[in-house]
Amino acid sequence: MEFPAALFPSYFGAGPPREEGGPALVAGWGEHGQVLEGGPGCLQGQPAFVPRRGATGERWEAADAAAVPVLLPSVGCWIPSPAPQDILYRSGLCKKLRAGKSGATLDFAKQLGHFFVDHPEDAFGSLGRLLHKNFYLGNSKLKVTSSRNSTIRMTALVEDINRLEARRGCPRQHLASRLRWFSHLCRDWLFEVPLGLLADFLHEELIQQWSDLLFDDSLTGGALAWLPPKDGGTPVGCLVHPGGQAMNHLYFQDVVLEELPRAQGSPAQFELSGRIRQVAAARVDGQDFVGVRSDYHCGVWRVPGRKGAAPAPLQVIRTDVPASCLTVSPHLPGELSVCTQSGTIYLWSVETGLQQLRHDPQTMFFRDHSPWHWSDFTAHPRVLSCADRTGLQCLDARAPKRCHFDLFKVGEEAGCQQGERVVLPMYLGRAHPSQYLVTTQFSVYVLDERLPLVPVLKWAHMMKAPPLFAHLMSGHPGRSHKVLLGASRTQELLLFQYRVSFWGVSSGGSQSACQLAGTPQKLHSIAGCLQHLPTQLPHHHHLLQQRLKAPAAGLAATLQEDGPHKSMVIFQLSEAGDVFCQRLTHKAAQPPAAPSRDEATTAPGSSPLFEAPASSPQYRCWLRALSRVCRELPQYTWAPSLSQRRLFTRKDLEGPAGPSSLQRQVRQQLRQTMQEGGRIQRWEPLALQPPPQPQTLEPAGAPDPLSTRLTAAWAGDWEQWWEERTSFSVAQRQRALRERRRRQKRAQGRRSLSASFTSSLTYQSELSELSDTG
Amino acid sequence: SSHEHKLNFKRSKEACLSYIQDALLQKQWKRAAEFLTCYVESLEKDYSREHIGPSEMIWRIGTEILWHHSQSSMKEFNCFMEQMKTLGVKRYLKVCLEHVFHLLCNGQIDEAYQNLSLAESWRFGEQTAIQDKEMKLIQAYRGLLDYYSWSKQKNILLENGEDGFSDLAVEQEMHSYFRKAAVNLKEIIKIPGVWDVFVKCYVDLLEFYGDHNEAHQVLNEYAYNSKFPANPNAHVYLCQFLKRQGESKKSLISALKILHDIVPSHELMIDFNTMLQKSKKRKKRRLGLEVIFAALDYAGWKENAKAWSCLARQVKQIVISDKHLNWIKQEWNSRKDWWPAFHFSRYLAKRNWQENKSLSYEKALVAGILLGKDCKYFKYVSHQGCKAQLKRFRMLKKFVNRHNPAYLRISG
Repeated sequence: MEFPAALFPSYFGAGPPREEGGPALVAGWGEHGQVLEGGPGCLQGQPAFVPRRGATGERWEAADAAAVPVLLPSVGCWIPSPAPQDILYRSGLCKKLRAGKSGATLDFAKQLGHFFVDHPEDAFGSLGRLLHKNFYLGNSKLKVTSSRNSTIRMTALVEDINRLEARRGCPRQHLASRLRWFSHLCRDWLFEVPLGLLADFLHEELIQQWSDLLFDDSLTGGALAWLPPKDGGTPVGCLVHPGGQAMNHLYFQDVVLEELPRAQGSPAQFELSGRIRQVAAARVDGQDFVGVRSDYHCGVWRVPGRKGAAPAPLQVIRTDVPASCLTVSPHLPGELSVCTQSGTIYLWSVETGLQQLRHDPQTMFFRDHSPWHWSDFTAHPRVLSCADRTGLQCLDARAPKRCHFDLFKVGEEAGCQQGERVVLPMYLGRAHPSQYLVTTQFSVYVLDERLPLVPVLKWAHMMKAPPLFAHLMSGHPGRSHKVLLGASRTQELLLFQYRVSFWGVSSGGSQSACQLAGTPQKLHSIAGCLQHLPTQLPHHHHLLQQRLKAPAAGLAATLQEDGPHKSMVIFQLSEAGDVFCQRLTHKAAQPPAAPSRDEATTAPGSSPLFEAPASSPQYRCWLRALSRVCRELPQYTWAPSLSQRRLFTRKDLEGPAGPSSLQRQVRQQLRQTMQEGGRIQRWEPLALQPPPQPQTLEPAGAPDPLSTRLTAAWAGDWEQWWEERTSFSVAQRQRALRERRRRQKRAQGRRSLSASFTSSLTYQSELSELSDTG
Repeated sequence: SSHEHKLNFKRSKEACLSYIQDALLQKQWKRAAEFLTCYVESLEKDYSREHIGPSEMIWRIGTEILWHHSQSSMKEFNCFMEQMKTLGVKRYLKVCLEHVFHLLCNGQIDEAYQNLSLAESWRFGEQTAIQDKEMKLIQAYRGLLDYYSWSKQKNILLENGEDGFSDLAVEQEMHSYFRKAAVNLKEIIKIPGVWDVFVKCYVDLLEFYGDHNEAHQVLNEYAYNSKFPANPNAHVYLCQFLKRQGESKKSLISALKILHDIVPSHELMIDFNTMLQKSKKRKKRRLGLEVIFAALDYAGWKENAKAWSCLARQVKQIVISDKHLNWIKQEWNSRKDWWPAFHFSRYLAKRNWQENKSLSYEKALVAGILLGKDCKYFKYVSHQGCKAQLKRFRMLKKFVNRHNPAYLRISG
């Protein structure tokens, strides 16, 4: 690939970034950046200029109004990761404190309390067993016995604790002296694990959880991969994604690319021993190599080029420190690069094993606390890039200590802002063998390794959360390359285009400098489809919302060309394991500017799918499957409710057994009339009977058992009532049963014997009725 | 209270901004424009300490909308830009520069020139470092436009010169353009940066007036000053200049050697290799082999038939002469563990054969010598070639078979 004959002008400085920074919402708009002479129009003797940003790009329009699910929800319900309210301290006092400029306060005491309640054996096991005879929790006074001397009454203490819980958050709360006395007394010996140590661990874990909530970089790279269809075959690709309750199952699902992608057959499935953080794939010599990273294990699979061949696991490695990166070589089969959080970078070859290229826990260009490291391949199969938050270096695997150069530095060299950090580097080999993409929380940079340190393209992406996922779709020569950026927490998806085009003969057929083409475009997020789903019950709506808003966990896309029709299919994976997709279609010729054109593009209804969104079959199937999968979910997420069964016996709640005689009569009348072919003019019983009395077990006149029981309980002698009832009931019930059977016989008259043994289940009685008359 | 008022205002401002952003990202230019008219209010109550203030936001959003809005015109755009220039002192030069860029991209060169001259005469108190940079850029772009005017006049003059009469007025005008352009261009290329266009134009001016020393110095400075980024183009311009000046092979080779050291994958490496292969000195031919091997290491060269034929030619030469087989051996040593999979797999043999027969021929020759006659790539291609009854492939097979001992010496 030729180097551009002339580059856009730019200053080059060295040192730390000078520009003050911060997230800026509109920093990426309205700027050409620089211009360069060239382009097709310089024949008239006048120079023609092209801008670095603002050139026209291809027009891609969403085919549908929202993303749709591709796969049915996987088996096993998703357990949401902790939300800020779970680990933050929230009380009136704290709010006041926070209004002053302090950070978030972690609710340490609550979590420690949870541990004591949830794992009492682990917390107090041995001393609890030793002491339980000496603690008395009853209400009554302790009698003077032999054990009196060694037993103390703890009831008051428990009451104090309960009261304390009720007063939680009250600014005037003060500890009861008794509690303070007790905790002072037993702090050193009561706990199984020394309290200080336990607290340290818990605190560490809480801080970890909180920082993960703020920014979870373990997902960098994304856990979704698309293996495009093999050459010359049917348009069947393969979606590689994690699933299952703990996201520890790896699926290879064949997907047919039609109007909308459709899963074909059942997926190949592998169960792994850890949560899948990243899935990376590359095609070498017609075979796909898929690398899978979890915290302490990395594995590689091969998907052979033959159609229908099953994916085969090749090798697994285990790391002591969590791995933070796994990338697959696009050059050589079975080669990967692995980074761990301790700053070790390995070249991993399936044939020859691991080769350590570097071990350096420090960051490269300046000090930064993040242990995150990344590595990827470059245009030279033996040269790997390695990155941390401060920049990128390239090193030669044949002599990693000697041969290396700086590719990107967070600093004045690239015109960075203060506080800017590398979020995701990506080798853009499929678009251009020597180009590289680097995203930070503010900007995206395209780098050319032949011109290190100076970005050939820089653009402020304006995303609300840092882009953890990126996907490249290379265009044909002369056409723009498309890059998708995805954020995790906000599910943002952004499409932008850049061009490394050939200008043709006018400027000597040379390659032009890198240009941003068209305007960036926001794509649908998974959460955006909520408004298109059928109306739900409020609590279902809430659950659905929670599920759809789960942070994104991966991104994949493919370009599809069907003659003149070009479309782009974009898959997005959420942490809940859902895979949604959307399709963009290419509008070939720019139509003459019609006034209403730009507004019409977002109108839904351009696809048959959204004529009546709520009835879209994809959504309905998905919702049905989701409700099947998550049937048990309400019990986890709702406040506990009391079961009726425990308060009342089944008999108490039982309605009258079997259909009433009135119903029977009416049914009989209906059947008779139907047999005769006649009609019923008025619904009235054959014989004018008074409606039968409600059937009761107790003799008439006496109050029902529930009332008597409640009355007794209110009066305080519930136990006595129970005694009476159990002794009374045997004789009483026999009598009542006999009475009831007699009454039923009378009511049924000519009916056969079988109908008299009606079960309480109505369908059974109906069956027996049918057998009678039929 | 006023504090609360401030907060509420801030909140509604943020909401408005996010609506605008949303509309822009969905290409709804009209909707964005309507929201922007509301957002303009934020200028009056600007309490922000953000690094992008409301005036810059309005400039950026407004520009983007006017670029794409179906009903906007150049006149309106210019009008908006003039307003934006008066809005903020800090951003005056930046807005001017962007305005000029837009005019240039729309072919309005004269208007752009006027704007540049106006901006250049702007003074306001002490300049910040950024403003200083922007001012230098404005001057440089004016110099560039002056250069284009100069080159236009030059062409007129040259055409007229052919007719046999010269025009003194045109010539004087041309010289004045030269002076204006040279002053400004000279300034900017002293500062570290990527100034490909400016350097090219300045060198062109100097060469026309015969100041070759100055031109050489400028190019040397641009290529070898360590404060400048390692720009391959700087070396390319230097090489081209040396070639134009008919400088000695030695200086050209040393310039290309430096380019080879910083960018082994540069496309000039083919020329470099051919130049070195022709050389009588052993050392240079050795370097040529190194250069072509290094270039073919890169993914971008994988299917470059020209490069493969360069390598094939040199390897063949060495094998036939039976001298310096150790050169190949040394190059091959650091590559033998990954070139077979990278270049000579069976899959690639099939694909190369289907897509580019001459490429597969050159590669098969190299593979046959480096990996022997049993190598997959060579076997497949020579088999296919013989099957297709192509003479050169039969010759190839014979050649490789005859020189199999060379392979043994290289691999051994």
